Amino acid sequence: MAFYDGMFNFFGLRDWCNENTSDVPMSMSELLAKTRGESVTASAEGFPFPSLDNLNKACSNMPRTRELTAGVEDAFLNIKDSLKVVLDPITQPLSWFLDGALYAFTSTPWFILIPILILCAWYVSKSLSVTLLVAFSFLSFSFIDHLNVAIQTLSIVFVCTTICVLFGVPIGILMSRSNALQRVTIPILDLLQTLPSFVYLIPLIFLFSVTESKLYGIAIILYAIVPVIRLTNLGIRLVDKDVIEAANAFGMSKQQKLFGVEIPLALPNIMAGINQTIMMSLSMVVIASLVSAPGLGVLVLRGIRNLELGVGLIAGLGIVLLAVVLDRTSKGALIRINKSHHQDK
Amino acid sequence: MKSNNVNPIPKVKISNLSKIFGDKPQDMLLHVRNGMSKADLLANHGHVLGLQDINVDIQAGEITVVMGLSGSGKSTLIRHLNRLIEPTSGEIVIDGKDVMKMSMADLNSLRQNKMSMVFQKFALFPHHTVLQNIALPLQVRGMAETEREQEAENWLERVGLTGFGGHYPHQLSGGMQQRVGLARALASNSDIMLMDEAFSSLDPLIRTDMQDLLLELQKELRKTIVFITHDLDEALKLSDHLVILNNGAVVQQGEPQSILMNPSDSYIEAFISDINRARVLRVRSVMTPLNEGEVYAGDVYADDNLESLIALSEGDTEHSYRVLDNDVAVGQIDMGTLVRALVPRVWDKNNPIL
Repeated sequence: MAFYDGMFNFFGLRDWCNENTSDVPMSMSELLAKTRGESVTASAEGFPFPSLDNLNKACSNMPRTRELTAGVEDAFLNIKDSLKVVLDPITQPLSWFLDGALYAFTSTPWFILIPILILCAWYVSKSLSVTLLVAFSFLSFSFIDHLNVAIQTLSIVFVCTTICVLFGVPIGILMSRSNALQRVTIPILDLLQTLPSFVYLIPLIFLFSVTESKLYGIAIILYAIVPVIRLTNLGIRLVDKDVIEAANAFGMSKQQKLFGVEIPLALPNIMAGINQTIMMSLSMVVIASLVSAPGLGVLVLRGIRNLELGVGLIAGLGIVLLAVVLDRTSKGALIRINKSHHQDK
Repeated sequence: MKSNNVNPIPKVKISNLSKIFGDKPQDMLLHVRNGMSKADLLANHGHVLGLQDINVDIQAGEITVVMGLSGSGKSTLIRHLNRLIEPTSGEIVIDGKDVMKMSMADLNSLRQNKMSMVFQKFALFPHHTVLQNIALPLQVRGMAETEREQEAENWLERVGLTGFGGHYPHQLSGGMQQRVGLARALASNSDIMLMDEAFSSLDPLIRTDMQDLLLELQKELRKTIVFITHDLDEALKLSDHLVILNNGAVVQQGEPQSILMNPSDSYIEAFISDINRARVLRVRSVMTPLNEGEVYAGDVYADDNLESLIALSEGDTEHSYRVLDNDVAVGQIDMGTLVRALVPRVWDKNNPIL
């Protein structure tokens, strides 16, 4: 029969193996073979790897690989309810922020919204070319009737980035203070950064209802918070030791050092982190359209589902335009800060 | 400025200070007390002996120069005074209070009010203007902005940088940056000023300027200055009290002229062998008592250096001169004595002065 029969016999496990043998087909291929009247024979390959499935053929009491995935699922479903009791109230404000921002952004008429966006771009970057780019982009969006969806995407990015900064900067500061914390945090950050963006969505779908906006909000924040934490930590660790020593020698307190020396000197790095965070939340908000995040991503998804080539491409190019706008504006702020710092040593 | 008279209580008293860098400094202290050398400690136990049993009295209003080669522990020593480095054992008493026993709050108050520091690499805040940098010690203390900037403006003028208040440090040259560093330390109005190789990174001409500036300010301010340097000329120019460190221990300390005349060991000898003795030695250090009935070719001052006396004599070795201090004759000097003083001293084991 199966390749590993002999092994189980050798160890005297035959009885244990046959305890609850049944002839019920266990997989689709077995079922098909059975209906066709063929018997499932050991495959032609001479020496199969002793994987769970192959061992199971010789000994039906061995678990199969399918049971591993089923076990993970069961475990998750078991803790799901208790997890939900804790997570639901904590994350509820996120839904409110997202819904509120979506409402506020989309219900503002264009002749107020676009000037506000242009003014923001000017205030942040103090650069004429960036401001003109922003004006051009949003007028183009309006012209092709995509302003509303673009603004939905923008408002989600805005809320998620704000929350990332609010949590990421303090976490980064704590990490820079303690090597132990850094050792613990870095693997987690690596995991968050390398986990494929679709995978974030899977457990969240089980935890929250797809109608709740916090579902995609959490996915975006988890994905995008990494760079701001990393670069805050790095920025503070890179502050010139001589300057810190001078601050100590003049008797500065911890708060004075943090807000008067460390954060200002780490600001270029922190801003670079925020720039990355903005770009990552934009990329995630498109993927999050799979779980009902509104915005340009929905149109891309429609393009794929219904094979509406034009709709998908225009929306895709719109995302590119939005990315360029966000990148240039936040880089403009970064350049401005770098200019006022001039650390030439 | 020579105040070697009677000094009752030193401003800062360093007693039995030791510092060992490593994981278990207290255990190593025992080895060091039993006479283990710095090299053995590093080779056998992996600990670095930073300072070993330092005893120095620092008098108020004087410039105490700590000199040594790199690795001699001088920067470590100065950082113990405001406890930027924690000691392994010993005590440092400033105005009757042991710095080593202070709480963090007391320590910060000491650093804010009693001590200021000037750094080798300037360590100015790159994101602050020159004026804000100078005002820093006052800002830390919580002084209002207009008040502290006014005060800072005064110090900016004193160090000769009027008009540069709005610049950023990177826009200034090294010498100017260190003037800002000096002004920042002075602005704190503290009694004690720690200067860690403050002029070492400047080029020679600017260094001389800065030394003159410091001496000029010191004439008026009479701060207690602890100055670290590896440059003997600088040490001799500035110091009222000279401490020479080697391998973390004090080799010799005292009045600089007397160290020059009586080096206590071969290390110091090597140190002082290639300096211009005529420029550094002063008449006071080599003069002999007044001789009744002697005929003098002229008067010299006790604080003149020998070089100026040679110039005065125009090379004539016959004359002798009367030495005046505050217009009172205190001794005489003849050219023979002068020439003998210029011969480098060899350490005399049988006749150590200190």
